[in-house]
Amino acid sequence: MTASQGAAPQEALPGAGDWLVAPDLAPDAGDPVMAPLYAAATRGALALPFCAACSTPLELEQYVCDACGASAEIGTAGRAWRDVPLEGAVHAATLVHRREPGLIVATAPYPVIDVELTSGHRLVLTTDAPSGTTPDIGAPVEIAFRTVGAVTLPAVRFPEAASAAGSY
Amino acid sequence: MSQPPAIVGLGMTEMSVTAGPDSYALATEAVAAALADAGLDRGDVDGMLVGSSQGVREDRLGVALARRAGLGDLRLLEHLEIKGATAVAMVTRAVLAIGAGMARTVLCVFADAPIGPGKAAGSTYARSGGNGGVRGLERASGVLGSVPTFALLASRYLHVSGGTEADLCAVAVSARAWASGSEQAVNRKPLDDEGYYASRMISAPLRVLDCARPVNGAVALIVSSTRPAGHAKPAIEITGMGAVHPMRRRRAGAESWFGGGGQAVDDALAMAGTSRAGLDVVELYDPFSVVTLCLLEEYGFCKSGQAGTFARGGGIAPGGELPVNTGGGQLSGFYLQGMTPLAEAVIQLRGTGGDRQVAGARTALVTGIGGRIDHHEALVLAREAA
Repeated sequence: MTASQGAAPQEALPGAGDWLVAPDLAPDAGDPVMAPLYAAATRGALALPFCAACSTPLELEQYVCDACGASAEIGTAGRAWRDVPLEGAVHAATLVHRREPGLIVATAPYPVIDVELTSGHRLVLTTDAPSGTTPDIGAPVEIAFRTVGAVTLPAVRFPEAASAAGSY
Repeated sequence: MSQPPAIVGLGMTEMSVTAGPDSYALATEAVAAALADAGLDRGDVDGMLVGSSQGVREDRLGVALARRAGLGDLRLLEHLEIKGATAVAMVTRAVLAIGAGMARTVLCVFADAPIGPGKAAGSTYARSGGNGGVRGLERASGVLGSVPTFALLASRYLHVSGGTEADLCAVAVSARAWASGSEQAVNRKPLDDEGYYASRMISAPLRVLDCARPVNGAVALIVSSTRPAGHAKPAIEITGMGAVHPMRRRRAGAESWFGGGGQAVDDALAMAGTSRAGLDVVELYDPFSVVTLCLLEEYGFCKSGQAGTFARGGGIAPGGELPVNTGGGQLSGFYLQGMTPLAEAVIQLRGTGGDRQVAGARTALVTGIGGRIDHHEALVLAREAA
């Protein structure tokens, strides 16, 4: 299932800020829940939490391991942040047409993609550059990065050709 | 004389799509309407449960409603928060409190006013959420409000079920057909497939007609173990209650939106001593068309992946096999979270549904959901024998 609206991809403007959102939407890079992820992103890596006891991948806001019951509280040795491969596949995708004035600076519909990472985690991200299409569910994607305000955060990169079929 | 807890009063404000009174004023109006409907005075009420829309808003309803609405010396006063499941859960809590002897007559009140001067409801939702936690990352990724998230859910549902947007269309058109007969519904203009497909895309595959209709409004219910003297309206007994809060992790290789909710309905039906076949109307929490499809499967009315076929065949529309969301639901009726299905069930079981009345309706299932279909509350309601 693909969502191609026929919207022309927009041109990114170097140095003009993020292509999608206003700086007001920059995440709180100091938030202890997320800080290691944003710190890793500044060096071009994707770091995500694992249970230190059994290596089960954890949700970003998961503090007890379902698999072994160990505590994985923030700032403790039970929560192990590791760099993971920048690879995944599409779990779900949407092309968002509603653009909130003042918050969304893009002038055309934009993609939001729920990615299944090869590490076992899932993240909901947009793309690293303007795109008027979404990839098929199951399609392989890469993780790249974009910057909102002063915060670097992960984003999806996929070949535009992957979304040639089907449309809404 | 004490009798089984029943809904003896229903008060509803006008469901407005324009800016007006705040949620406290709306709630106070609904309380007065419910008392009048039940033939009760404020002094007859000894409990109140309050629910409100999530998020930080200045006029978010809370326990201050007791003073605002002139309800003093309450024995039970509580603000309940189980996301969208709250309203249905309030009725359960009222029944439990009455059963425990902690109250006799309990108001359950919900109000919301997302539409302000020069501010559409969509903008209110889009600007809620903050920049911390996972939400902060998702908002920076363009996930504003709940529509993109449920669009992802819809994308996944259609992929897993093998369905198409025609399934979503069938839900929206069915809801509008019911709404056309409802005095309380906001969107009553006839809708066909062509009109659906012409409607504005919000976040593919969800169009504006796949999304709940936000309103400013309030609903108050009165649950009591007494029957007001001379009360002409039938009491609506709460015969079954169930709840479940499945925890589905977001992981690669697993579904995180579907499954686990059916237990709430199974438990409510078992407590009521009835079955799905014994239900005359089904009132579901339907913030998006796709959720109706998910819940029909989740609650065992359709096999997995078959809800779309059922809806396309007219199964949930007026005259269909299973009357679902008979007031137009949240899609075409009005979005007051769990009060939407609750109020409609009371109207149907009282037999006051007018043009959309389901003939002979005596038993209803009402459900509320919260989060990303993470919280399920279910009630079986039955019209009390005269």
